[in-house]
Amino acid sequence: MFSLTSCLYISAFLFSTGVYGVLGRRNILVVLMSLELMLNAVNLALVAFGRAYAAQDLAAAHTGQIFALMVIAVAAAEAAVGLSIVLLVWRRWQSIDVRDLCRMHG
Amino acid sequence: MEEFLKHSLFGLSGLLGVVCAVLVVTRKNPIYSALFLIVLLGTIAIDFFLLQAEFLGFMQLLVYAGAIMVLFLFVIMLINPRGDSLPDEGGATDRWVAFGVALLIFSLLFTAIAKSPRLKEFDSFPGMAAVPETVMGTPARTADHGSLTAFGYEMFTTHLFVFELTSILVLSAIVGAVHLSLRPRRRKREETEAALDSSHGREEHAHV
Repeated sequence: MFSLTSCLYISAFLFSTGVYGVLGRRNILVVLMSLELMLNAVNLALVAFGRAYAAQDLAAAHTGQIFALMVIAVAAAEAAVGLSIVLLVWRRWQSIDVRDLCRMHG
Repeated sequence: MEEFLKHSLFGLSGLLGVVCAVLVVTRKNPIYSALFLIVLLGTIAIDFFLLQAEFLGFMQLLVYAGAIMVLFLFVIMLINPRGDSLPDEGGATDRWVAFGVALLIFSLLFTAIAKSPRLKEFDSFPGMAAVPETVMGTPARTADHGSLTAFGYEMFTTHLFVFELTSILVLSAIVGAVHLSLRPRRRKREETEAALDSSHGREEHAHV
């Protein structure tokens, strides 16, 4: 049950659910949350791989975890900038529909 | 007994995570999505603890559930979208296309995981490699590999450059977020100044 492959299956499922959310939804907030979901799925896979390879090389576990920490930092930066853009779009057009972003012609 | 606990905890958290992930992308109101996403992040933190990445598990809870999701909830409360202001989720075709792409990606990943011969060697998470007694001549205080000491040592020696790059990334994100949130205020001030100027002009006209 608790094995590398099951961790990877969960990670793959979460990632594809995030893909569905990014492609199929039109609410900007839900799209951003689906992005976070995908980043988390990748984090889970990274840490699981690191833990699995720790039997051979202890540094592998650390590398996986540090990579995951960097992904968390990237996710925080992305959420901060993305949400401030969402607020700007809301103030301008009172809309959180991704289709309305087409009106921003550069 | 410990093994059984570990397996059942992993199974429960995995199941809860999968259900929450589906709920995150299907709820119409974003506040429900955000709440289910918080539960999902908690289950992933449990997985990190089980994978002996304790520090990362705490970071997950602090940074994700504590900071990023609070930011999301604040924005949702500020916007308060409900009823008409929620965008109408497109027709069935859009959804089926998105579902097809997601299914394609999942089946690709699934077959890749299922067919991989290398994964079977490490499948049950074999024991850790021995912790080295000394690191660069000094005695190592790395008790276990998820501990903060070992993690920090590895981060500030081997991966120092990546760490510095991350600081630049976070700094640019701060500058970007501040810039984006300041711009409308400046515009508003210009508008009020312009309005004041025009009203002054009108008064002068009236005097004349």
